[in-house]
Amino acid sequence: MTSWQATPALGRAVIVAAAALALAVVFGDPVLVVLGAPFAISAAIGLCLLPRTEPSVSVQLDHRTLHEGQGTVSRLRVRDGAGVEHVARVSGQAPYVALHPAGGVVGRLLRDPSQSLDLELSPRRWGPRRPAIELVALTSRWAGWRWGPVDLVGSLVQTLPGRAPFDSRAEMPQPQGLVGAHRSRRVGSGSEFSGIRPFAVGDRLRRINWRVSLRTGDLHVVSTRAEEDSAVLVLLDALGDYGSSGGVDGDPSSLDLGVRAAAGLAEHFSRTGDRVGLRVVGPSGQFVGYGAGARHHRVLLGTLAEVRPGIPPDLAADRIKLRAAPGTVVVVLTPLLDEAMLLVIATLVRRGLPIMVVDTLPPDVRPAERPGVAKDVADLAWRMRRMERDDLLDSLAATGCPVVVWRGPGTVDEVLRRLARRAQLPQVGAR
Amino acid sequence: MRARTSTWVLRVLVALSPLAALLCTAGAGEGAPGWLVVLVLVLGLGWAAFPESVAGAAVIVAVIVWWGVGLREGLDVWALPAAAALLAAHVAAVLLSYGPPQLQLDGPTFWLWVRRGASVYLAAPLVFGLAVWVRDQPAPDGMWAVGLAAALAAMLAASVMLARRDGVGVER
Repeated sequence: MTSWQATPALGRAVIVAAAALALAVVFGDPVLVVLGAPFAISAAIGLCLLPRTEPSVSVQLDHRTLHEGQGTVSRLRVRDGAGVEHVARVSGQAPYVALHPAGGVVGRLLRDPSQSLDLELSPRRWGPRRPAIELVALTSRWAGWRWGPVDLVGSLVQTLPGRAPFDSRAEMPQPQGLVGAHRSRRVGSGSEFSGIRPFAVGDRLRRINWRVSLRTGDLHVVSTRAEEDSAVLVLLDALGDYGSSGGVDGDPSSLDLGVRAAAGLAEHFSRTGDRVGLRVVGPSGQFVGYGAGARHHRVLLGTLAEVRPGIPPDLAADRIKLRAAPGTVVVVLTPLLDEAMLLVIATLVRRGLPIMVVDTLPPDVRPAERPGVAKDVADLAWRMRRMERDDLLDSLAATGCPVVVWRGPGTVDEVLRRLARRAQLPQVGAR
Repeated sequence: MRARTSTWVLRVLVALSPLAALLCTAGAGEGAPGWLVVLVLVLGLGWAAFPESVAGAAVIVAVIVWWGVGLREGLDVWALPAAAALLAAHVAAVLLSYGPPQLQLDGPTFWLWVRRGASVYLAAPLVFGLAVWVRDQPAPDGMWAVGLAAALAAMLAASVMLARRDGVGVER
């Protein structure tokens, strides 16, 4: 609850007018009335314009879901604002929420009560972003009375991760779906030439190769390789977030890289007709089943926007259900600083799945300064951690698992081609 | 955040206008003593720093008191620019009190208060002319007593109005 309160300006005008009149009477000097008359009129008008309404204010956002870097408008509306002449709002600074004007301070005359006082805001990092608490004050005509300032809490903005630039022209190693864009090892009704074989019952006439048929005296048809889709599992390591995030315009943290790369991979493979699934290894352990299409892509982005870093209390690498069928291409996005992820990756490699690891640790990441921890000690610990990480990388290389650093378009092309070549060879899988 | 240029201009106006009103007494033939000049300047600076503080009322009352004490029978034309200076300081403080220093003063608000200040200021020359007109007239019996009673009644009415509180709700 709040109420209309007299402003200091009104109090000043009243005091000055009263003092001027009283002194004029005491001294019998009319010049003091000359000096005090403007204040007396100002005070009288201000006193008489006490608003009789009970206003209320509310904030509405034009958009509740945005991609990081996009902007929307927060509109402040005043109801029952008769008698309100000026409205001012002051917003605090929330992490990763940019405001325009930058200070978050706006104010103007309220000519029409239906008008809104707008403040532009833009979330600068994926995740749920709540604008900071605002203070709103209303002022009556002639600045005699003030309502507030009152606190206002804005609505949550679901911020979807921006898509990291990504494109790939490599074919998938083991497409095993129904209909897609990748050449499979199976012969079927595709467009990619596979061979020429004798005619069999059921072959289409337009597949007959007349040149070979005339030369051999028997009907021959052109066989093609089937074109199928592939399942892609994006495995995101959210066991920690290393480095400081500067938002969409600044330096990324490891989880920034991972989430944005996952969004880029998901969009690319969804667009090419593959079925994309997502597994987050973290406190919430989200899983999104395999699917394709725009709606599924939005589900993936929404899940990525809710990723939080941390280690679940019951983390056991052998209990993480990945739900990756044979032939599923697994892309692991990890900073490779946790042994649990190494165990998960090793399990996938043993199963014979085509897997690649994308290293998301920023190159210039430094340990955060913590109170009570000397900087040289923190640096030493970080160097040791990096050495352990190098050992992990060597272990991965020993298992034959390719590790690439995320660099945007073409990051996984070479690896996919190598996996495709490897898929042509006989291999033994383990379960 | 850095305050905007308009805010600084208003603060300068708040700080120096009372001093200008005080120095107008020199034009009327009675300069203010040095300590009073310093006092008004200090109070003006404090008012400029905190536009909603009591320093505003204090510095204006101090100037008015000097006009009453220093210039007995001081119905001088210099009172008009002095009134304008005091009113300008008051209006500038009102504009500053609409929000924090980061609040950008918009044109409509500025010109609204320029018009209001000009219209309110018209009372000063009107009262001045009236005072000049009645200066040579014999004062009616009890005129100052009636004036004092009227001032007290106005103060009482203002106190009652300022004490009013209406409870209203806020929607979160």
